[in-house]
Amino acid sequence: MLFKEIVIAGCGNPLFADDGFGPAVIDRIHEEHTLPDNVSVIDAGLGGPHFIFTLLDPEVTKKLIIVDIADYGAEPGQITKLKVEDLPPGAYRDAHSWDLAEPLQRIKDQIEITIIGVQPARVTAPEFEEGLSEELEKAIPKTIRVILEHIGVDYGTTIKCLQEERPRGTAEGGTKG
Amino acid sequence: MSKVVEISPTTRHEGHSKLVLKVNDAGIIETGNWCSITPVRGVEKLAVGKTPEQVPKIASRVCGICPIAHTLAATEAMEASIKCEIPKDALMLRHILQLANRCHSIALHDILILPDFYIPGTETKINPFTAEEPVRSVAKRIQRLREIGQTIGQIAGGDCIHPRNTKVGGMYRNVSEQAKTKMYDLAKEGLTLAHAQAEFMIAVIRSYHKRDFVDVGGMKVALPKDLGFHDQGYLATHAFYGSSSLEECPSWDIRRFKEARPWDWYMGEMTVDFEEPRYPIGGTTKVGTKVNPQMEACTGIPMYDGQPVEVGPRARLVTYKNFDEKGTQGQNIAREMEYQDCFYEMIDCLDELNTSGKVMADYVPNGDGSLGWASNEAPRGTDVHMARVKDWKVQYFSMLVPTTWNFATCSAALKGAPWQLAEVIMRGYDPCVSCATHMIVVDEDNKLVAQKLIQ
Repeated sequence: MLFKEIVIAGCGNPLFADDGFGPAVIDRIHEEHTLPDNVSVIDAGLGGPHFIFTLLDPEVTKKLIIVDIADYGAEPGQITKLKVEDLPPGAYRDAHSWDLAEPLQRIKDQIEITIIGVQPARVTAPEFEEGLSEELEKAIPKTIRVILEHIGVDYGTTIKCLQEERPRGTAEGGTKG
Repeated sequence: MSKVVEISPTTRHEGHSKLVLKVNDAGIIETGNWCSITPVRGVEKLAVGKTPEQVPKIASRVCGICPIAHTLAATEAMEASIKCEIPKDALMLRHILQLANRCHSIALHDILILPDFYIPGTETKINPFTAEEPVRSVAKRIQRLREIGQTIGQIAGGDCIHPRNTKVGGMYRNVSEQAKTKMYDLAKEGLTLAHAQAEFMIAVIRSYHKRDFVDVGGMKVALPKDLGFHDQGYLATHAFYGSSSLEECPSWDIRRFKEARPWDWYMGEMTVDFEEPRYPIGGTTKVGTKVNPQMEACTGIPMYDGQPVEVGPRARLVTYKNFDEKGTQGQNIAREMEYQDCFYEMIDCLDELNTSGKVMADYVPNGDGSLGWASNEAPRGTDVHMARVKDWKVQYFSMLVPTTWNFATCSAALKGAPWQLAEVIMRGYDPCVSCATHMIVVDEDNKLVAQKLIQ
């Protein structure tokens, strides 16, 4: 099958500086982690809506985690967890869809969707520029820990690390929203 | 007296574009300009100084739909410049990856164009998301074909969107015998579905073009039998895959290529003096709006032998298979005919693939600065990348992508059609606009002569 029970999709364009955060997180997961067999880790680039979100089978995929930048007025590198309802209209619109629909809206009742958004420091669109800002580079390991906690994968350090950064019952350390 | 009508943005394709149409009193297009309004980028400049391994990764990011075609064309342009021949099994894996991508792309295009058409023998337009039969089964089949394409691409390319397995000099790794068997099984399933899907689509397309009138936003529009005809000629470099050698592929000669500036080609400033609020979705542009395609267009105009040409499925079929149907009908039918060919070719490649064979060249030269080019027959047409590599650094890189070719050709094809059907003609090209954004114009010596920032 194309997608597994849990799908982690890194969205964004590395040619627009911090917009490449999602794919950079995916790269780091591939390089440093071995995840369980029921997890698909995908560099979605700009193709999330047409290559992933419209192809997920709710019979198989139960959880979708999208990693992307999100401008929510925080300090660069701060992490937040969003639901589909929190997204501004057009955030994940499928340009290839006949009615310009939001594909996430179609599947949100059948698949649990979480967007892990990181506040960018610099997005250069339409000008091309490679490389993440220092703040976002530093946010990669913590984003991965948040993902691992969310999917219940613990190498003996993940959840403990996050707990040390924040008291139980509060939002993730350094996060907002 | 001519009137100006603008459809902006155009819908059911990737990226942002618009149609500026000069129409007569009967609503027939006298001059049509279809242009990209996606802001300018500068991938060519970004590539200079990078390693040949980095540039295909950069190229694959210019568009959300075509990463595979751009990865392959850029990788092979680097290999052409450094004069590196890759092993046969690596080439087979690349073929399979490209064909899998084409299969997905045709299926996606089916969803995009179906709402223009009618269920044959009825007055009901097709809603691909309806739960009612027969459309429901068709939609399921389309989804399965997309899944098959993406799964095969994932196996051959290492990832289904941005392939990780391709590398200058070949592929990182061959596939296992088990993976080959899986691709084979999927391709056989896909072939059966593709036959059924192509048959359905061709029936729907032919039935549409037999009609005298069609409905567009409640308007009854006369359907001309020559919808989308043009006399611009065709360009295709291979029936399926592509080439990077003039000897092997005499149909693409860089010396016959030239690029014009948009301000020498498109119409100048005008004011919209006709609007139609009923036009889907949300009506046409308001009367009194200033439009200026010359300055708003974000692409150059590529010419082959001095004129724009059509690239894409019909160009391939005309060039290699004696296909002779013109217009929008011919274009959409040609795409459907590629469905089955794509799986037959994939099965042939799988038969050829030796999973024990090497997939990396023994020696990868550093390059001496020679100009190399590679064409890849992407779903939307010929995608040509050019590169110079010296001492393992890219000195020059340029992308000439399918929809850039088709902007000017489609503009010519709009002439004589009712303005309400301009988008139907445009969709026949399966446009992918954001990767077409390419606003660096070079002269014969490849010197930069024009570059423009839009926003």
